[in-house]
Amino acid sequence: MTADDAPFVACCPDCAERTTASDPNEVVAFYRRHHAVTGHDVTWERMPSLETDLPADPDIDAVVAALDDSPVALGAVSAAASEWGWTVGDTLDAVHDRRLTGALWEPRDDHVALV
Amino acid sequence: MTRWNDGVAELNAVSPDITDETNALPAKYFTDPDVWEMEKEKVFGRYWIYAGHENCIPDAGDYFTRTVGDKQVIVARDDDGTVRAFYNVCAHRGSKMVEDTPMTDPGNMDRIQCPYHLWTYDLDGDLRSTPRSFEEASLNPDLDDSDVSGLDPDENGLLEVHTDSIGPLVFLNFADDPPHTLDEQAGKMKTRLESLPLEEYQLARRYVSEVECNWKTFGGNYSECDHCQANHQDWITGIQLDESELEVNDYHWVLHYTHEEDIEDELRIHDEHEAQFHYLWPNFTVNMYGTADGYGTYIIDPIDEGRFQLIADYYFADPDLSADEEEFIRTSRQLQEEDFELVERQYEGLTSGALGQGQLGPNEHTLHRFHRLAQEAYNA
Repeated sequence: MTADDAPFVACCPDCAERTTASDPNEVVAFYRRHHAVTGHDVTWERMPSLETDLPADPDIDAVVAALDDSPVALGAVSAAASEWGWTVGDTLDAVHDRRLTGALWEPRDDHVALV
Repeated sequence: MTRWNDGVAELNAVSPDITDETNALPAKYFTDPDVWEMEKEKVFGRYWIYAGHENCIPDAGDYFTRTVGDKQVIVARDDDGTVRAFYNVCAHRGSKMVEDTPMTDPGNMDRIQCPYHLWTYDLDGDLRSTPRSFEEASLNPDLDDSDVSGLDPDENGLLEVHTDSIGPLVFLNFADDPPHTLDEQAGKMKTRLESLPLEEYQLARRYVSEVECNWKTFGGNYSECDHCQANHQDWITGIQLDESELEVNDYHWVLHYTHEEDIEDELRIHDEHEAQFHYLWPNFTVNMYGTADGYGTYIIDPIDEGRFQLIADYYFADPDLSADEEEFIRTSRQLQEEDFELVERQYEGLTSGALGQGQLGPNEHTLHRFHRLAQEAYNA
């Protein structure tokens, strides 16, 4: 799969390292590997368009609600949240906070749902 | 004769004689997931593996984490100034203790504490303290407090991993009883590098790339330059490949590249008028540049059988780089990208399953050593 035909493309702005994926959670895995050895974050360059509008103000619960799947892949949440300019790290931090305050849960590894 | 997977050709172990037809590692060792599982123990669990540069953790309590296969260690400087490595695993119930912490952004801690039940360790790994609930039995009706024996700090400390160094370069060995010392594994490389002021140079840049091929595919590409004339045309400008030499030692080989024009001594860390590219089995290189006063290291870290991370670190006297040094790194990265194209293309061919066992040319003797070491490790 090349960058031209991959549905998901993300990159590290510091290294200019780019990853392409058919599954958005592959980007999350890439972020974790890359962050572990560089401390760098990863930004989205391409993702499928959302069928519904997101609120103008960042609200991770709203993203999870707006996506069709339940549970929804963490990578899909992150791709959608990039509309607010969020990085992959920003999304993972926000999801972590919401899980530990009881708003989200993780019925499958790296897949989240509203409580 | 090339050995295709045609049901006829017989594959053999790597011949010690490079003039034999079966002088290369069979292709399955690059593509089979079971081989990568085996390598975790037989290669990355037995040989000395580069951990990182101790200049990045100058003070007591400074630390970074390093992951090798399924194992992760905390590399930390203790109160006596010694750099030690411990499994990032609590002695209580095995929890991972500290978060992933890259060498480029090290942490600092007075003590190592597990967040799960707050078992706390000194920087030398000894158990320092546990919460009161481990010293009394108030919740257990079958025990009295007097039944609880205290935890001996020495007997309940962290599991330490062997470490040794070449100058400021810190290495790990996960084996209980390593089959070689670092001196034996690094051989002449250790002597040569320790004659240079490596510790006077600081980490200036780290670039990490993920490449879709087996780690040995890239290691092999690094180890020969027969491909350079056709594929690195910018880089070989000014280099006399015919005057260059590929030197092979037991677990280490060096590509000496001679420059056509003499370069001032101030523009190199070493005295020889050449670039030196050292490969240390299994997955570490030190790149001594011919035209820049600095050096670089590569860690060729497998992700799985079909992917690896290239962790490229660049060291210069002043980490605030000059324009020339920035340009040097840009050229280095161009070279990497050219190599990534080559090795991914090679790997795509290998994964087709057509080739059973390739063959090496007479000037690929460094690569032959690499393949023999892999075979030796698998057979051990």
